[in-house]
Amino acid sequence: MVDRQLFLHINWSILAIVILLFIAGVLNLYSASAFRIGDGTAITPFYKRQILWGVISILAMITTMLFDYRHLKNSSWFIFLVAVASLIAVLFWGKTIYGAQRWLDLGFFNFQPSELAKVGVVLVTSAFLSKINHSLGLRDILKVLIIVIIPAYLIARQPDLGSALLLVFLMAGMLIYHGIRKNTFKTLLLTTPILIPSGWIFLKDYQKVRLLTFLNPGHDPLGSGYHVIQSQIAIGSGGFWGKGFMEGTQSQLRFLPEKHTDFAFSVYGEEWGFIGSLILLFLFSLFLYQIFLSSEEAKDKFGTMLCVGVFFYFFWQIFINIGMVLGLMPVVGVPLPFVSYGGTSLLVNFIMVGLVLNVSMRRFMFKS
Amino acid sequence: MSLLKANSIFNEKFGSYFLLFLIISLFCIFSVRLWYLQVYKANFFSQKAQDNLQRRQLIYAPRGLFLDRHGELLAVNEPSYSLAIIREDCPDIEATLEQISRWTQMPADQVHDEFKRGKGMVRSFENQIIASNLSFDTLTRVETESPYWPGVKIVIQPRRRYLQGEVLSHVLGYVARASEDELTRDPELRLGDNVGKQGLELSMERILRGQKGLRKMEVDASGRVLHQEVLDYPVPGNNIQLSIDLGIQQKAFDLMDGKSGSVIVIDADSGQVLALVSAPGYDNNEFVFGISHEKWQNILSNPHHPLQNRSIQSTYPPGSVFKLVMAGLAHIQPDIRAADRIFCSGSVALGNRVFRCWKGHGWVDMKKSLVESCDSYYYQLGDRLGVDRISEFAVGSGFGRSTGIDLPHERSGLIPTRDWKRQRFNDGWRGGDNFNLAIGQGFILVTPLQVARFVAAIANGGSLYKPSLLLDEKKVDPVQLPWSESSRNFVYQAMIETVEGERGTARRLYTDGVIVGGKTGTSQVVGLMPQHLEDDPEAVDYWLRHHGWMAAFARNNDRTYSIVALVEHGGSGSRAAGPVVRDLLDYLFDESHPHQ
Repeated sequence: MVDRQLFLHINWSILAIVILLFIAGVLNLYSASAFRIGDGTAITPFYKRQILWGVISILAMITTMLFDYRHLKNSSWFIFLVAVASLIAVLFWGKTIYGAQRWLDLGFFNFQPSELAKVGVVLVTSAFLSKINHSLGLRDILKVLIIVIIPAYLIARQPDLGSALLLVFLMAGMLIYHGIRKNTFKTLLLTTPILIPSGWIFLKDYQKVRLLTFLNPGHDPLGSGYHVIQSQIAIGSGGFWGKGFMEGTQSQLRFLPEKHTDFAFSVYGEEWGFIGSLILLFLFSLFLYQIFLSSEEAKDKFGTMLCVGVFFYFFWQIFINIGMVLGLMPVVGVPLPFVSYGGTSLLVNFIMVGLVLNVSMRRFMFKS
Repeated sequence: MSLLKANSIFNEKFGSYFLLFLIISLFCIFSVRLWYLQVYKANFFSQKAQDNLQRRQLIYAPRGLFLDRHGELLAVNEPSYSLAIIREDCPDIEATLEQISRWTQMPADQVHDEFKRGKGMVRSFENQIIASNLSFDTLTRVETESPYWPGVKIVIQPRRRYLQGEVLSHVLGYVARASEDELTRDPELRLGDNVGKQGLELSMERILRGQKGLRKMEVDASGRVLHQEVLDYPVPGNNIQLSIDLGIQQKAFDLMDGKSGSVIVIDADSGQVLALVSAPGYDNNEFVFGISHEKWQNILSNPHHPLQNRSIQSTYPPGSVFKLVMAGLAHIQPDIRAADRIFCSGSVALGNRVFRCWKGHGWVDMKKSLVESCDSYYYQLGDRLGVDRISEFAVGSGFGRSTGIDLPHERSGLIPTRDWKRQRFNDGWRGGDNFNLAIGQGFILVTPLQVARFVAAIANGGSLYKPSLLLDEKKVDPVQLPWSESSRNFVYQAMIETVEGERGTARRLYTDGVIVGGKTGTSQVVGLMPQHLEDDPEAVDYWLRHHGWMAAFARNNDRTYSIVALVEHGGSGSRAAGPVVRDLLDYLFDESHPHQ
């Protein structure tokens, strides 16, 4: 039975790491949901919803593994176009939450088209690059850029700078991985420094403030710098061994902002200390390494590029998020994969893992 | 394939190395950063986390109350509401300050200044008081609107209230906001604290203040208190029971209505002060939360200087009251006998100067010289005794030095000496100076309290007590007058004669059933008039009039009072100050109300 063979080839270590990360995330969420009332503690039910989403996401991941990924090479454009269409729909009919118009109300749940766009971009870019057998010239790069810039722009307008940047960054990562012509690379090196300041014009005021705050967080400790400072206090005060599960004062007494989502790692760092943080960091590194191995073992270029796309999808999120909570990066709304609260993003994370597992389990499937 | 790759800066394996490089960088950069935050700087951040959630709040200690000798309340504490901010809890300080200005009607600049002034003196997460003594209207507005202004707090502070206001203003003084100077000098004081500035409030500060308590609180990010415990309970300040008798004080104050001057009543047998009035008074309640500019200007421009405590801070020539000292000094001289007489023709010549007596007394002995207050007798005495003996004796009798009463800024007056005159005027002591000194004019200056203490000593057998304002003060052994008992008794009898004798100058003090002795005095006034009043004839008349003294004692079976009244620009002592003492005697010996 082909299916039985496939089952044997599943990359169990990726699966194990992801499940571990997810469990750590749920525990962390449970703690972050607790807050003290008087001398007692109350817990909001965030973690239950996260578990429910986890189950749905794992089912979605399994579904993603069932069919041969090579079919995606042709349907990637279709998925991409659906994503762009729903991004446009969000502009008109999107639900506005916290001043950002990111959600489409599908009745049974709020769907975030930007998440679908991430899958779409990974698929389309992989399909596109897998057909090119030479180092990329300016023309090739521009083609990819035009494909990616459309959803990136639409997402930036919502506004969701974090997701938009993520699209551009993961595209850039895939391009560099694929290989770029010497001259083209030089041209890019010279022109990017000119393009970055002009990008400033497109930033919203609060985004500009965030960047400036990053450069000088002490400047306005109760304004935008507050997040970064409180996050560092939380993590730093955790010390070597941490304050213990549910003992973090920064999170329990709500000094930490956005502790369920973007600053989940701060809660974790405060309660589990240097040791716990290092273990989590190691798990993430191992996870990335496993994706890297899958990309090496893939039997075709599309499979390799798919894994590389997923690699960058996770890499940038981990890099930006942990960098942000450690005070090394500006505050950009990027969640920490599997740990931060958020249904759609969890779903997409597991689908992405599914893609990698799909490629990896079919590495012996056919001879070239 | 290899040809195509040749044009690339990357070799075939570049992509793989690139990914590995990223993974290793991620792990290395973040583990170093984690080590820096969680190991290297762990203590620093732990402290920050503690600071976040733990706040300390001072608990005000109630200030000690003032009571009179019968337990009547004189100064109390009432709750007052102040507006404070916690800087760290204010999302927008500028806007908050503006809102405070709107609530309190304080000009925005003033609110800003107040904020800036106190910024450095308040620890983080502690209340900084911006506006004190909120009106009820302001309070209700702030109460309803403050939920929209995080960091704004209403603080209840005790506020001092002086129940009798002007009547005791010079005794009690007042409290007011501690100045920057006081805050830096006294580490116990916090911004917004009230501290004694004048009177007993100042001199008894240590006893009255008590000790603030400290409360430790655990708060969450919105400043909500989750848990609190008291680390130190506040220690209330001690109440102070004064020797002052409110009834006598009030009576004396009423008698001075419309006049400037001082009235003092002392229990002669203990030195306890029963009344200490300086007129005009001022409303010390005005100072507690900062006097308005307008009222302050009024006080400053008042030519009668209401802030001056005339009983201890103003000095006057004692006039004929000083004859009591002169007579005492003469009486202990072996070569002077009380019965020796001189002839008073109405004036005495010294060189080409003529020194006048207020009337021709004819033959005058020592007793008559006191009873009828004959100047000629004392010109002659002054000439005979000389400044050295007179000043030494006067100092021994309690003049020229402070009495040591528990009030700030007491003045010691002046007993002139040869050295003093040489230093002050670069001139020798002259015969005429002796003449002037002998009748209590010229350079000599005394405070009303010194006179009252001296008269008390005459009446109590010669003990100069420290005038005491506190009922329970430990008795200090009195200093004895350097007089012989017979000379003291002589002056004592002469003072009684001055009241009871047909020609006595203090006849109006005669009181049935009470032994009363008195001495009048008139001190000449030169050049006291405020400039801007020079054009007003009525004012000129007032400002050129002499100060009138009346120094008296009064005793019955169970008590002895020393009573001194000084009325500025009241004319002669008998006419101006006499009626005040007269009415006080009626009050003191009216058996329908209890004393002591």
